[in-house]
Amino acid sequence: MSDFALRLSGVTKRFGSHTAVDHLDLEVPRGSIYGLLGPNGSGKTTSIRMIMGILLPDEGRVELFGSDPDETRRRRVGYLPEERGLYRKMKVLDLLAFMGEIRGVAPTEGRRRAGDWLDRLGLQDWIDRKVEDLSKGMQQKVQFVATVLHQPELLILDEPFSGLDPINQDVLEEIVREFHRKGTTILFSTHLMDQAERLCERVCLISRARKVLDGDLKGLKRAESRGVLAVGFEGSEGWLEGPEVMAREAVGGDYHLVLADGADPQAILRRAIAAEVTIRRFELVEPRLHEIFVHHAGEAAAGDGGMPRALDGTGGVG
Amino acid sequence: MNAIVWAVIKREYLQRVRSKWFVIATVAGPLLLIGLIAAPILMANRGEERERTLVVVDRTGVLFPGVQPRLVEAGYAVEASPGDDAELERLTDAVRGGSIGAFLELDEATLARGHFRMRSHEAPSPVRSVLVRQAVVQTALEVRLGGDTEDVQALLTGGTLQVDVLSEGAGGFEDATFVSAYLGAFLLYMSLLFYAVAVMRSVLEEKTSRIVEVILSSMRPYELMLGKILGVGAVGLTQFALWILSAGLIFAVGAPALLAARPDFMSPETLADVLPGAGYAALFAAYFLGGYFIYSGLYAAVGATCNSDEEAQQAQMPVVMLLVVPILFVTQVIQEPEATLSIALSFVPFFTPILMFARAVVGGASALEIAASMVLMAFTILAVAWVAGRIYKVGILMAGKRPTLPEILRWVRQA
Repeated sequence: MSDFALRLSGVTKRFGSHTAVDHLDLEVPRGSIYGLLGPNGSGKTTSIRMIMGILLPDEGRVELFGSDPDETRRRRVGYLPEERGLYRKMKVLDLLAFMGEIRGVAPTEGRRRAGDWLDRLGLQDWIDRKVEDLSKGMQQKVQFVATVLHQPELLILDEPFSGLDPINQDVLEEIVREFHRKGTTILFSTHLMDQAERLCERVCLISRARKVLDGDLKGLKRAESRGVLAVGFEGSEGWLEGPEVMAREAVGGDYHLVLADGADPQAILRRAIAAEVTIRRFELVEPRLHEIFVHHAGEAAAGDGGMPRALDGTGGVG
Repeated sequence: MNAIVWAVIKREYLQRVRSKWFVIATVAGPLLLIGLIAAPILMANRGEERERTLVVVDRTGVLFPGVQPRLVEAGYAVEASPGDDAELERLTDAVRGGSIGAFLELDEATLARGHFRMRSHEAPSPVRSVLVRQAVVQTALEVRLGGDTEDVQALLTGGTLQVDVLSEGAGGFEDATFVSAYLGAFLLYMSLLFYAVAVMRSVLEEKTSRIVEVILSSMRPYELMLGKILGVGAVGLTQFALWILSAGLIFAVGAPALLAARPDFMSPETLADVLPGAGYAALFAAYFLGGYFIYSGLYAAVGATCNSDEEAQQAQMPVVMLLVVPILFVTQVIQEPEATLSIALSFVPFFTPILMFARAVVGGASALEIAASMVLMAFTILAVAWVAGRIYKVGILMAGKRPTLPEILRWVRQA
């Protein structure tokens, strides 16, 4: 019995001359809740597709529950793809029974479980309606039910929160936590750093097809705590620019400055005094995930893939 | 058959059989047939009483003896009338008032060039006016030609051609066979196209809705493709079975009614000639299945390379051509089933289902040729499955631009 629900070693995927995933190593311990983070286009979805056996890696190895991801093993996984899709003409309950059946749940049992889930998600009045009659948010819930109907040991959720309103994001977040408490291993990808920060125990940051860093979230933050400076002030902003500052970000009326390696905060303070601004706050803080990412991958990497700012919690497109 | 493929078959089948289009098509076919049978019966019964009493005013004095039995045979009650002016007026009033159906005036013009007049309470149906005209004109010809009535009769009905085929193995050839071969080939073409396109649309739906990604995370592409093709094919067979069943019922009930109402319309013997038998149904089923597996595979591959209905419309053109070409040649093949061109065309793999069926129905293909065509279809199916399966596997997960032909060929080589 492997300690890892999922292990990737040296996994690489190329499409023509473009390398989508470059020698990715990843170990997801059993029972953990793991975030795969990175801007759009950084290779998250391609990695997940290789984990699901939909794409085959050009190099490297994917292991699910300690060996190759064959069909039997993949049926122990619940997979919510980034691009959602359901049979629009099918009735909700028929659809869910089918989705269960192809993963080894007998149709009657599948219908029973689907009924329970739909009750819980407030969709009990929709079970005999066609999928196309449902609102987008309801379809997302149905899709989630389809993902968990066969009681998977490993949940792989690609951008699970995108397209959901804040209330339903909370509902889904709570369900994910519940699965985690019951011992299900969860890997989810997101470009929303805030969400990851709230949910994950461990994270893997990737940028431009490569892993930037991974590990335990608390440990990462501790190791990085000298890297971010929070400043509050009245006056002009020109002094914030400088070689020590890799990036800056408005956070609750103050600024968080991501410092370059070996940067001296004193130099920044001297510029502030020279600029004659009134300082309210000047302290090193625990970095936010976004800042850790920027520190390691650089502002450009975060920017060119469409990485939203940490405060942009509204959710992007899937 | 593993459980996954079975689940896919079940879904495809139930979704389609439960859809309203399936119900409409299944009911519409027999209804059309009922209409074809009922129309002549209804027409025949329309205003029967009045229409069927015919008064014949014969001024020539020679036509009535011949006309009378013919009109009686066509179902009329016939009366003769001397035809002076007072009588004509009385008859006109009687027709107007509806107490008799119609009267005919036969005179020298009738004898000379078949022209005569009919005064009728209401316009006769086209069938009835032909019957009346035939009775009168045939009598006029008979009178003018003289001679033995039966010989003249034979001449008048167009003579008979006795054909002796001197080569071996060739069976008789009748109009009914031609019609059933042609209609069968055409129905084969229509249903192959219909169900193969249904497979393509299903592939396309899964691709454009992106559900295929979830599905393929728990099964192999070939399982999905196989289940889909078998499920849709089963719908086609169900449709045919229902049609045959209801057609059987309709003929069992309707044909006697038709014969009773219109004995002139069709005799039981000719009706039996037109009805397809069990051998015909077996040939149809075999070539439908063979053709369906060939074309549904091709269409599945086409669906997998497209991203929208519009793209699919264009991309399917080459495959449609493979189905249209045999239909262009089918008349010729039926007429000359043993010509070299017909034989050659019927052994072109993609044309075999339609053209070999047509040749077999008209008795132009030997048992050996039919067996050979079945083997050929089996190999074609395997080849199509191999190529289409590879295109499908790659294409189904591709988004973006439609692949070019060289790209598709690379998929086939590399997949």
